[in-house]
Amino acid sequence: MKATLERTDLLKSLTHVHRVVERRNTIPILSNVLLRSDGGSLNLKATDLDLEIVETVPAMVELPGATTVPAHMFYDIVRKLPDGSQVVLETTSDNSTLEIRAGRSRFTLQMLPETDFPDLTAGEFSHGFPLTAGDIRKLIDTTQFAISTEETRYYLNGIYLHTVDAGNGQQFRAVATDGHRLAQAEVPAPSGASGMPGIIVPRKTVGEIQKLLEDPEANVQIELSETKIRITTGSIILTSKLIDGTFPDYGRVIPQGNDKEMRVDRDEFKEAVDRVSTISSERGRAVKLSLTEGRMVLTVNNPDSGSATEEVAVEYDAEPLEIGFNSRYLLDIANQLSSDTALFRLADSGSPTLIQDNTVDDCLFVLMPMRV
Amino acid sequence: MTVRQLGEQVINQIAAGEVIERPASVIKELVENAVDADATSIEIVTAAGGKTLMRVSDDGDGMRQGDLELAIRRHCTSKITDDDLFDIRTLGFRGEALPSIGSVARLAIQTRHRDEAHAWAIAVEGGREKPVVPAARTRGTQVEVRDLFFATPARLKFLKSDRAESAAITEIIKRIALAYPQVGFSLSGADRQPQNWPAARGAEPHLARISQILGQDFVDNAMEIDAEREGVRLTGFAGLPTHHRGNAQHQFFFVNGRPVKDKLLLSGLRGAYADVLARDRHPVVVLFIDLDPGQVDVNVHPAKADVRFRDSQLVRGLLVGAIKHALVQSGHRSSTSNAAVALDAIRAQTSGHSPTGTGAYASEASSHASPSGGYQPARGYAPAAEARQWSPEIFRPLETAAAPAAGFAEELQSSYEGPNAFADLVRPSADARANDVPLEREKTDLPLGAARAQVHETYIIAQTDDGVVIVDQHAAHERLVYERLKEALARKDVARQILLIPEIVDLPEEDAARLAERAEDLEKVGLSLEAFGPGAIAVRETPAILGDMDIKGMVRNLADELAEWDTADGLKEKLDHVAATMACHGSVRAGRRMRPEEMDALLRDMEATPLSGQCNHGRPTWVELKLSDIEKLFGRK
Repeated sequence: MKATLERTDLLKSLTHVHRVVERRNTIPILSNVLLRSDGGSLNLKATDLDLEIVETVPAMVELPGATTVPAHMFYDIVRKLPDGSQVVLETTSDNSTLEIRAGRSRFTLQMLPETDFPDLTAGEFSHGFPLTAGDIRKLIDTTQFAISTEETRYYLNGIYLHTVDAGNGQQFRAVATDGHRLAQAEVPAPSGASGMPGIIVPRKTVGEIQKLLEDPEANVQIELSETKIRITTGSIILTSKLIDGTFPDYGRVIPQGNDKEMRVDRDEFKEAVDRVSTISSERGRAVKLSLTEGRMVLTVNNPDSGSATEEVAVEYDAEPLEIGFNSRYLLDIANQLSSDTALFRLADSGSPTLIQDNTVDDCLFVLMPMRV
Repeated sequence: MTVRQLGEQVINQIAAGEVIERPASVIKELVENAVDADATSIEIVTAAGGKTLMRVSDDGDGMRQGDLELAIRRHCTSKITDDDLFDIRTLGFRGEALPSIGSVARLAIQTRHRDEAHAWAIAVEGGREKPVVPAARTRGTQVEVRDLFFATPARLKFLKSDRAESAAITEIIKRIALAYPQVGFSLSGADRQPQNWPAARGAEPHLARISQILGQDFVDNAMEIDAEREGVRLTGFAGLPTHHRGNAQHQFFFVNGRPVKDKLLLSGLRGAYADVLARDRHPVVVLFIDLDPGQVDVNVHPAKADVRFRDSQLVRGLLVGAIKHALVQSGHRSSTSNAAVALDAIRAQTSGHSPTGTGAYASEASSHASPSGGYQPARGYAPAAEARQWSPEIFRPLETAAAPAAGFAEELQSSYEGPNAFADLVRPSADARANDVPLEREKTDLPLGAARAQVHETYIIAQTDDGVVIVDQHAAHERLVYERLKEALARKDVARQILLIPEIVDLPEEDAARLAERAEDLEKVGLSLEAFGPGAIAVRETPAILGDMDIKGMVRNLADELAEWDTADGLKEKLDHVAATMACHGSVRAGRRMRPEEMDALLRDMEATPLSGQCNHGRPTWVELKLSDIEKLFGRK
């Protein structure tokens, strides 16, 4: 194999693919990135057996061929090469090392045979539809924080994607929960999505997708089956296995009858929560909201260091209510709200609270209170 | 097939199967008989691990001729008077031991009651009684058991090696001997080292016996326990947390003088020490529980190792409470074995050519001491006088380096800097910076003394009136922070995060029922759960501090713990573990240079905090070297 390409192009692709490769592997080939030169391009592919990213960059190919080299080291080398240089990749004659040349630098890297490289792409996809990068980003950004990190409930370790028929037509919806809070976001479903199975996209894949989608206007093709999802944007193809499990019936935990409505300025609320929670030192920091007509008092008590209170003007005219929340959870949610005013729908101090944007209703959050 | 009544011999052999399991159980029965007969000296002889010979001789009451004939019959006993099984004041009561032994071995008894003119003897061989014949014996009873299990060869095959059986016998006798210090025991035979524990007299007979059996080491590192609640009395000795063992062999419990191995008591012990010992280390204890015989059932198993308390929570509470109280009280007692270990190490190294840091430091110090006149060999070595001369004079200049008379600090400093003094050593990082706080002499009166220096940026050296204290700064501070966090946690209720979706955990029905019963206790530590049909538990709220936790795993562990120990401390331990982790992150690490004021503050804090004598894993946070020990190192004594 012999190919010459721009360092900038190579680095950009390697940045994308090398992240998939785990730092420590028991199977040596998984530490490597697969390079395949063909026609006018170089193909880079990396995988951790659950997730695979393939990216194509333009290259001048003198000799087609394929090989694999350690991904992180290759990435570090290319990263340190001078900007604007041309990189030449050439396998040595005995086919055991890859030579990387740029300017006056020359590296040789041990190769592993490309035939051993695992392939995830096999299999058919039952559904395919386009979506804009902006929509996907919105679905992910809004719900990602609520993904559970607790591995025994593996079916919560991802974002649940599915379609629902709502009053405003079919919606493509993302839901994530860790058992304490739930986040839901939706966009109008593209036609190809109708009838798709509900799928759970693992946390790592979610993170990678998020990083690949830089331009919100870009078009993204989504293909999926019961076990796999593939996202194609530009020259990048990401394929991932899905979490094989049943997502809980989340609809039941979204409260319908919460009649106490409270409207508060989002930023004012966020800053107040942030300020008062400074006083608590432990994890699971509780903040108490005391609601009376027209005002909310936030209190945090820490027997070790003191207490904090702050008053925030709110729109509230139901009977007084005291309710405790984990302040970090409140901040997480407040950070996701897009309109200036947040709408809280409350029932009592032991029941789930619904939090939404005041004006738009394409995302909602459910938060369980704390008992303090 | 027809149903028929089994013969007496077979019945006895079946009974023997329960009572007589191995030679040690024979010894147990015979020695207990001797104790019940008010013997003051019991002699035990064994051969081949008790398989060929066991002989127990005592100087007790003995038996009359008629009693002797009855004694070898089943269900005959002198120990129950009005057929009341709930008022048992003797070790034995079932009337099974002698006939059981007689049915499986060659049994010979010689006994003389004080009313009789001479002794009588009887023999039973594999269940066949021989007539009672006169014999010669001054007083007491001697029971000889030969060829155990010759009548039931199958049992013989299950016995372990002579050595193992012999060790089991020793273990049994130790247990009984611990309970009866006023009785002398002697144990000998071809298969063992002879042991002789004379009857302990004096003010503390129990302590004397404990020292005979467990060694002076335990006595030096034990806390006395004496507590009483609602008619239940707990006495004895519990080891300091820094004196621990790798297994639970050294935990001796006695209920009304009867050695027992009871799960309830063991779990109580585990709970009491949970905070100061790593899970895989075990404390050493000798504890006596005395209560009204009606409050405890010992007739649970023929071997009588298990007991049932009528009010088991009372006993457990008493045990845990008393030990915890003692642990707090003795917070400042450093385990003496640590000092001994340290001294041994120093001694071993100073006898060689290369002096250790400590040794060199001390000798350096003493050589500098002479010019200042503090140390004058000609005056003799009276320890008290020497202690006075040693302590303030030598170190004072360190605090007042500016004073013209001193010179020691500079010399000390320069000797550290100098190429020759510590040429072959890693240079110690002693922080000998002058302290502008004037010397407070009274600080040396305090238990941990006055901080003098920090070495290797890890250990604080402090001086007390009669010794030197070395403190591990990280371990000490970690424990202080931990105690503070734990206190804060205990002060308020554990905040509970309500779950969006209750977690349903499937469990065996009895586990689920046990958990549901304890729901109230668990709620206090932040776990709110309820029964969800038979065989399932619904968890509704979890401790907020644990965040996104493995609820199923936690609930299963709790269920197992409840089944095994009847306690649910696992969750509490988990919360404490969070506190411990936070403590570790929030404490002064090894390698941080500390100002003299900081060191003193740490020492004062340690004195004020209970349980600060060991870190969370039972390692000591400080060691004290007595001046007399140091003097021994230099051959001054």
